[in-house]
Amino acid sequence: MFRFVLRHFNLYVLTLLVLCIFSFWLAYLFPGDPLVNLTGLTLNDPADYQAMAQKYHMDSGILVQFWHYLVLLWDGDWGFSFSSGLPLYQEIFDSLPATVELSTYALLLSLLIGIPLGFLAGLRHHRTTDNALLAASVVGYSTPVFWLALLMILLFSLQLGWFPLSGRISLLFDVPHDTGFILVDIWLSDMPNKGAAMINAVQHMVMPVLSITIVTTAIVLRLTRRAVVEVMPKEYVQAAYARGLSKHQVILRHVVRNAMLPILPLLAMQSTILLTNAMIVEVIYSWPGIGNWLIQAIYQRDYPAIRAGMLAVSTLVVSLTIFIDLLARIIDPTRERGARAKI
Amino acid sequence: MPRFSLYQEEYHPSPLQHTWLAFRQSHVAVIGLWILGFFATLVVFAPLIAPFDPVQQHTDTLLIPPAWEPNGSIEHLFGTDSVGRDVLSRLVYGCRMTLGISLILVLLAMLVGVAIGALAGMTRGVRSSVLNHLLDSLLAIPTLLIAIIIVAILGVGLVNSMWAISLALIPQFVHNTRDFVRNEMKKDYVTAARLDGANKVHLFFITILPNMVEMLVVQGTMALSIAILDISALGFLGLGAQAPSPELGTMLSEGLKIAYMSPSSIALPGSAIFVMVLSVNLVGDGLRSALRNRMRQ
Repeated sequence: MFRFVLRHFNLYVLTLLVLCIFSFWLAYLFPGDPLVNLTGLTLNDPADYQAMAQKYHMDSGILVQFWHYLVLLWDGDWGFSFSSGLPLYQEIFDSLPATVELSTYALLLSLLIGIPLGFLAGLRHHRTTDNALLAASVVGYSTPVFWLALLMILLFSLQLGWFPLSGRISLLFDVPHDTGFILVDIWLSDMPNKGAAMINAVQHMVMPVLSITIVTTAIVLRLTRRAVVEVMPKEYVQAAYARGLSKHQVILRHVVRNAMLPILPLLAMQSTILLTNAMIVEVIYSWPGIGNWLIQAIYQRDYPAIRAGMLAVSTLVVSLTIFIDLLARIIDPTRERGARAKI
Repeated sequence: MPRFSLYQEEYHPSPLQHTWLAFRQSHVAVIGLWILGFFATLVVFAPLIAPFDPVQQHTDTLLIPPAWEPNGSIEHLFGTDSVGRDVLSRLVYGCRMTLGISLILVLLAMLVGVAIGALAGMTRGVRSSVLNHLLDSLLAIPTLLIAIIIVAILGVGLVNSMWAISLALIPQFVHNTRDFVRNEMKKDYVTAARLDGANKVHLFFITILPNMVEMLVVQGTMALSIAILDISALGFLGLGAQAPSPELGTMLSEGLKIAYMSPSSIALPGSAIFVMVLSVNLVGDGLRSALRNRMRQ
């Protein structure tokens, strides 16, 4: 147990170090002056340039530079954006929660729908229900998420007018920026039309969340189904039947727990797909998240923003992956090292 | 299919034949294979099938609706787009581009991934551990992010987005190859080969690789569906293939501008991607369950 934690911690630190090295290296890889790419400031005045070069220790060796880069990263001084001129640290931590919020709701919703349906399909293996669910899930995960989002816009917002086309909340509402999670922010705030703002925010959220959910649910369903199908013929399930337990009892006491075990590490793998989909969907719905922000940064050749954004997003993903892996290992120590769930 | 047997001769299909027989049991998978075959034909014979040049602009026939609409013409089956390019030809070439490039990417990623995976699976100790774990956690980074970085360094373009996607496809091949090689190394036939004096290179290429082919095909179909989705997503976002080239995702984002006037301009490329990915997934699923059934026997 302690060994697991230590190992994962080592791995985590090592990975973060590699990510930092890479983001530092990016300043040199991107077109233009490395110092400008690091600071994000256009340094026309030689005195300014000297001052900045002093701050980043550009005249010292590369290792010293990297060390000071790390110190600045730790202090929250991530440089400035070319396009907006604002500090990147603040910009990123304004937009990252929006993405996390979107993906969290999508993930929760897809777990809520996908796991029960997966159990249903797995318990009725090779019957009509199973085949229908399986067919639906193949269709679901074959759908390109950007196309699905477009179709939803065409249908629900242009034809039927049920949901707003883009954005996060109507401009009429002025939500204070506290946690960055809009629903939580509205809940905590003491603005006048709280209920109306809440409804408006939820309306804006329905389509982006649904577009991501459909794809993710399909995958969760398949994984759950496979896990259930693998568990059902196991000896302990047969033994439980032999002891005279009813089907209900067997499923609730033995199948559910054992089938859920391989699903947890899977979430770690899903987080990448989920985040990629969320980033694409954000662009289509103009959701003010990190994906939209990064794509805009590409269009505007905002190199400091890309460097910092890459570091933030990959740190998030890596933290999540390693944390879930550790959790899965602690819950299920019998799991073979590096074993991965199958679809 | 029952074979006519006059004598009480037993029929032993080879492993590959066995997989094929099991694959044919699933009608849906066979239909998927037919559709995939259709797309493969498009990839190979696109210049013969497409009626027009995909980038040629017929300035006298702008925005003609598809042939089934009242004022469509049969000359342009799916109509023309806002600059008078024949949509059918663009779709045919688009399938060629999207599927063809995805195939190349998958092969490339497979080659590199299997090489690294074999190395990681056959080595032990610190080197292997560092290689594995660092790779594991680093390559959890989303494709889109890798693509954004590569595009930022090298500039926008189809080739650059191809680098990004092949880089993102490699890890799953590494994982699977490594796990497979690890498992096989424990088996008796490998020990036997080793006792015969086979060195590591022999062991991998002659003993283990033939057993891995099917696993790689299954993995390849999964990677193919991801590659198609990714390449069209990047095209759609404007980071991959650029405007005049007939790539399905790029066509979709172009069609967005005239979606009000001709809804088919976003329906057609989108459904082409969808059907393509669906057929790949059906074949992949069929192969996987065929393989699973064979292993169970």
